[in-house]
Amino acid sequence: MLITRRTLGLGAVAATSTIALSRPGLAANEPLRIGWLASLTGASSAPAIGFNRGVVFATDAINAAGGVKGRKIEIITRDTQGDPTKAVNATQELISQAKVDAIWGPTNSGESLATTAVMARSKMPNIHPCVVDSLIDTKKYPNAFRIAPANGQWDDAVRNYALKVIKVKKVAVIGDTTGYGVTAAKASAEAFKKDGAEVVYVANIDATQPDMTPDMLRARAAGAEAIILWSVSTGMIARLLNTRGTMGWNVPFVGHPSLSSGEIGSLVAAKENWANVFAIGYKSCSFDANGKLPARSAEFVSRLKGKVDLADTLLWWVAGGYDAVNLIAKAVEVTGSSSGEAIIGYWNTLKPYPGVFGDYTFSADQHNGYPTDEVVMSAANSAKDGSFALAPGYA
Amino acid sequence: MLYSIIASGLAVGAVYALIGITYNTMFATSRVMSFTAGQLGMLGGVLGSMFILRLGLPMVVGLLATLIVCALIGVLTEFVAVRPVLKSLEQHLYVLSTLAFALLIQQVTAIEWSTEPQPFPRLFGIGEGIWDEKYWLPVATCAVTIIGLEYLYRRTLIGRAFLAVAEDNFAARALGLPERNLRVASYALAAVVGGLAGFSGGELLLAFFANGPQLNFYGFIPVALGGLGNNRGAVIGGLALGLFQQSANFAVGGIFASVAVFVMFIIILLAAPQGLFGSGTARRV
Repeated sequence: MLITRRTLGLGAVAATSTIALSRPGLAANEPLRIGWLASLTGASSAPAIGFNRGVVFATDAINAAGGVKGRKIEIITRDTQGDPTKAVNATQELISQAKVDAIWGPTNSGESLATTAVMARSKMPNIHPCVVDSLIDTKKYPNAFRIAPANGQWDDAVRNYALKVIKVKKVAVIGDTTGYGVTAAKASAEAFKKDGAEVVYVANIDATQPDMTPDMLRARAAGAEAIILWSVSTGMIARLLNTRGTMGWNVPFVGHPSLSSGEIGSLVAAKENWANVFAIGYKSCSFDANGKLPARSAEFVSRLKGKVDLADTLLWWVAGGYDAVNLIAKAVEVTGSSSGEAIIGYWNTLKPYPGVFGDYTFSADQHNGYPTDEVVMSAANSAKDGSFALAPGYA
Repeated sequence: MLYSIIASGLAVGAVYALIGITYNTMFATSRVMSFTAGQLGMLGGVLGSMFILRLGLPMVVGLLATLIVCALIGVLTEFVAVRPVLKSLEQHLYVLSTLAFALLIQQVTAIEWSTEPQPFPRLFGIGEGIWDEKYWLPVATCAVTIIGLEYLYRRTLIGRAFLAVAEDNFAARALGLPERNLRVASYALAAVVGGLAGFSGGELLLAFFANGPQLNFYGFIPVALGGLGNNRGAVIGGLALGLFQQSANFAVGGIFASVAVFVMFIIILLAAPQGLFGSGTARRV
């Protein structure tokens, strides 16, 4: 056939329209890309490893059921090694090269402080579980949503338990000498005073101090009825508990989740030294007096059985990872779009979204989605399959 | 309370003193301040815990294995971080090379062992309260080590050879002493002392990778206080430091205790720059 200028022109129009018409079809089959900033190796890897199990489990479940409106979920994981610089680089790469639709993580505040502004510039929908209060700001970072409690909520839970549940009036507030320990102990002591409690002793102890007797003696002499502890150092916590045991002073310890870390069990001189210690936990991941988890969590755990190991991690990490993927998938499913505006717009209307870890409520001016009354204290020495027994005294 | 300060003060002081001796022993034959001293102390605790608790070896075998590995690391330090920079001693390159090697040891320990403190086994199960073995064991180890070293230096040929090299290594070499081998041996010996410090203080300091820099700092103070190369000075300086540090912990609390220690350290050095027990050296011109 002779190719004339007219046939060539017609052919070009036909080809262009074919490509243009097929575009929506392509988009519908394109995978939903979720960037996952996971600190999978390095010093603070334990949470990310737990979250990752939830992420993989959720992704496999959704993809096995046909994906999100026919689109498979693709998780693009970047190991940040707990390093803020690596987290920033990975964020930029996920946004500009991998072209992800939303980002889950990072999982620790140090990295999140570095990445939040980067994601905000690109209006990238972001969910994270980091505790530092300033990470959520709907004006500066309208794209960032938190699905775990903020530091202030932890503080409220600890104070609520000390003052209203075990009903003490005089507390000693102890932190370590890290930046976190100093600020957390200061904020906690101030909040206790505001609530009318008597803060009889405040101290920041060097975590490597080999003997904790001086501080414990001073706290006892000041008349403390409970020790409020803010530290992630398991060595320091174990030394304090051992000193309490040696002194024969059965004062309750209430505070940071690290009080329930498995490492403490091997570091305390006697098992009973770890009793009467209450660490921050979550209702959804706590056994009641009959040793049962709440119905939704129990159902989740039964689904995990044989597929996800809970013995060496925490249930809330796995549940948090699972919820994060589902929140992103749900946004795309409901709005039918994976654009940043659509996902963020959908999250802003959640009231509440029933996740496994908790019921998340977001609005345009509140991106702290985790309910404060879900944050409770657990018996620190009661870990079983990643969950803890609810501390005594809760109704 | 006073007894508690004395017990824990003497215990950590003895560990600092042993790290001070580790610095001194390495310095004597090489004129190098090796910053691996604290890491060897850390390794004493970590390896002890690994051999006895994780691998289930009997205590004596675990101790021997710990000391052998420490000695090998001491020898490696000499080969990797000291020998290459000895020619340009006046440029103080050893600061960089030994610090880098120390950092390497610490990072490998963090990755392969754990970043969290791990338990150290209870060795004898003797004593309670202030008489607990975790307090007296480092003190006893320090006493035995210092007696052993005195015997070695005064009564044995190899000990005298060490002293000869320390005194004047050119003269020692001229007399036919194997200076290089003696230096390697002194690094192994120092590493054993460092390992003993960590092993005996393990119940107190736990098997924790971050003990290294801590021991590096606090082990250096008795050396400066007692006079470089003076083991008896290091012991007295170490014990005094431990007691002062624990008293400061009690009197002013965590954050300011370290400040108090360094203030005291600076004041003493201002008053006696050569250290409390060091003697000013005359230089021939």
